Amino acid sequence: MKMQRVLLTGCCMCGVLAAAAMADESIVNSKHDLSVRGPGPIRAVQENEVCIFCHTPHNAAPQTPLWNRENPRTYYRIYESSTTDARIDQPSGPSKMCLSCHDGSMALGNVLSRPMAGPIVMTARTMPPRHGDLTIDLSDDHPIGFRYDRALTNVDNQLRPVEVVTRELPLGVHGELHCTSCHDPHNNELGDFLRMSDQMSAMCLACHDLDGWYRASHAVSGKRTTGRVVDPTERLKYASVTDNGCSCCHKIHSAPQSERLLRFTKEEHNCLNCHSGTVASFNVAAEIGKRSGHDVTMRTGTHDPAETPFSMRRHVECSDCHNPHAVEHNPMGTVRGTFGQTVKGPNLHVSGVSITGRETDRATYLYEICFKCHGDSTSRPRLRTSRQISQTNVRLEFRTSNPSFHPVAGPRRATDSPSLIPPLRNGSVITCTDCHNSDNARSAGGSGANGPHGSMFDSLLVRNYETADFTVESAQAYALCYGCHSRDSILNDESFSRHRRHIVDIRTPCGVCHDPHGIYRGQGNATEHSNLINFDLSVVMPADTTSGRRVTYEDTGRLSGTCTMTCHGFTHVSFPYANTAAGGSTSQVRSLSRGANR
Amino acid sequence: MKHTGVASLALVFVLCVAGGWAWAEIEGSKHDFSKQEWSGGDKCGVCHAPHKVMPPTTGPEWDPKADVQRTFGKPVSDSEMPGNGTLVCIRCHDGTIAKDAVGGTKKQRFANIHHPARVSSAHGTTDHPVGIEYPQFKEGYHPPLLVTARGNVPLPEGKVECVSCHDPHDMSEVRYMLIKSNARSALCLTCHKK
Repeated sequence: MKMQRVLLTGCCMCGVLAAAAMADESIVNSKHDLSVRGPGPIRAVQENEVCIFCHTPHNAAPQTPLWNRENPRTYYRIYESSTTDARIDQPSGPSKMCLSCHDGSMALGNVLSRPMAGPIVMTARTMPPRHGDLTIDLSDDHPIGFRYDRALTNVDNQLRPVEVVTRELPLGVHGELHCTSCHDPHNNELGDFLRMSDQMSAMCLACHDLDGWYRASHAVSGKRTTGRVVDPTERLKYASVTDNGCSCCHKIHSAPQSERLLRFTKEEHNCLNCHSGTVASFNVAAEIGKRSGHDVTMRTGTHDPAETPFSMRRHVECSDCHNPHAVEHNPMGTVRGTFGQTVKGPNLHVSGVSITGRETDRATYLYEICFKCHGDSTSRPRLRTSRQISQTNVRLEFRTSNPSFHPVAGPRRATDSPSLIPPLRNGSVITCTDCHNSDNARSAGGSGANGPHGSMFDSLLVRNYETADFTVESAQAYALCYGCHSRDSILNDESFSRHRRHIVDIRTPCGVCHDPHGIYRGQGNATEHSNLINFDLSVVMPADTTSGRRVTYEDTGRLSGTCTMTCHGFTHVSFPYANTAAGGSTSQVRSLSRGANR
Repeated sequence: MKHTGVASLALVFVLCVAGGWAWAEIEGSKHDFSKQEWSGGDKCGVCHAPHKVMPPTTGPEWDPKADVQRTFGKPVSDSEMPGNGTLVCIRCHDGTIAKDAVGGTKKQRFANIHHPARVSSAHGTTDHPVGIEYPQFKEGYHPPLLVTARGNVPLPEGKVECVSCHDPHDMSEVRYMLIKSNARSALCLTCHKK
């Protein structure tokens, strides 16, 4: 009985010992087992030792792990990026040891313990392409050979502190990053000899601390990435966006787009490959191709995350407005004006230019993102309509100190907009995307993605907006304006007393008198340019007056004013109007208008 | 009782045969210098002395001229001092000690098979370290019990010495006089958990 117990205990202990010995995957039978019995396609023809390909007990190369190979004397092309703060140097130490095979230039069987004339005979002389051959061009691989130290993390606040990193991953003797920081050449338990699992990009996130990542759609989305739906050239390791994480867009080695290690050379392909109805919910690619839109396919290689908005060359890419590391889903409402002007999920952590013209790394308001290109930028779009006052700088047009403006950067002080459809009211604030949006946007009642991606209407407008003279008035013709300004109110002359006459009878479009963005106070004054009056000079002609040929509007109080110009062959000279609702004398206005009509 | 007697006889016979076989190995191996003129036909005396003359000795009785004070490229603490299982080898195999120091007659030096005309440099760089405590608590190493009992790799006084990997008497008939075959790197992986 006692004997049995002893035996049993002995067996148990043996089992425990055996389990302990087997717990870690061994190099034996891993891809790095290059012996004749190794599992990979690259192995020795006869040699049956496992360690000898890298290590030797005697007469090793003078570097620490009894190295059995010559170091490559190659000059490598190293990683370069406009946004990196690391000082990247030629690879050294353990990295060079890895590269003695993995740069594809040195014979695999050439070891120090064998004479040069009699190397170990291998199935492949050097590392064959696409089997871990990084080539001597390391610019398309994650950078190595830079010091991951406090100096670096002080400058780049999207990197974790050294103490935190070294808890998970080893750095070199001088704190530099090596191949061995991420890879353990002896243990292939997790695949690719990784030191940590790369599921949900745990490995990447050990160093990279991206602002907004943990809540970002790209970090939490469970959308399927099966097959080659993300990258036609490579099957992704995991089945969902959240599991693949970084590797949905980035390739850590031999990336087609070297700078920033992206999967695709063309910037937009990295986004639209999924956002074309294949993986993501909305087909943004379809919006981009519409009549007017932010055509991200127009330029390649122009966008640079380090660019300054004021001097950059004209371009638009997805990442100009979206930060893929922080982008979040936004379940927004569909009523204009309730969206609010602060930046929401899809545009979080994107740089911008404030209404005062100051660059900011993180836009607070949505319009600040638009101002990057449509504000002071030298590459901003040209003028579309020739008006009394020309201004292409949209930032200036929306200044809240202007004589008149649409309330994007702040509410208006005036209370002369009786046509507003609730919940909009005097004092409401709208956003650029209330007017400029995809015609199919959910916020406009469609089924597509929100945002100014592309529209079947000119100027990327969310609804139809006719600008041609003699347009027959209809709800459809000025659908954009009527979205906020009640058609009934306008045509019942509740604000400007002659709206119906101008729009319906004489068929003048809204845009002939009104400049939708605003009139910069440095160019116009509150008397001549209140109520967004800035005449379209292709329709409005000067009128002969005693003081010369003039096109003038004059504000004479709430909902009243005078006009001097020739329009549709009809000359107004100080032609007055006033709204009865505003307290103007109807008889006086009638008599005046009769006189003018004569 | 009779059976026991037979068994004992058989055991003695087996031991004798085995001993004779072992003896036959050093005889004719690379370490058999008895045919060299300088050895005076002595098989054992090249390495072993008949009496305990070199303190401290725990193993075989070494020749007194072993250079026990040698440091191997860097200052060593007591725990890093190589034991006899290394010192006796190094006497010849570091290329600095003349073989006639053993008692030969010709002023002839060994051409060191490892370091021709070169002093063994700091251990851990170009050669596997010797005279070090077996790092039993370090990650990546098997427990000493597995090494010695299951792996048949001796760790004299818990240290890694030349004799941990090499068998100077060449009883196993493995190349490089290894203590056991290194096929599939079995010898390396006895200690290294890789």
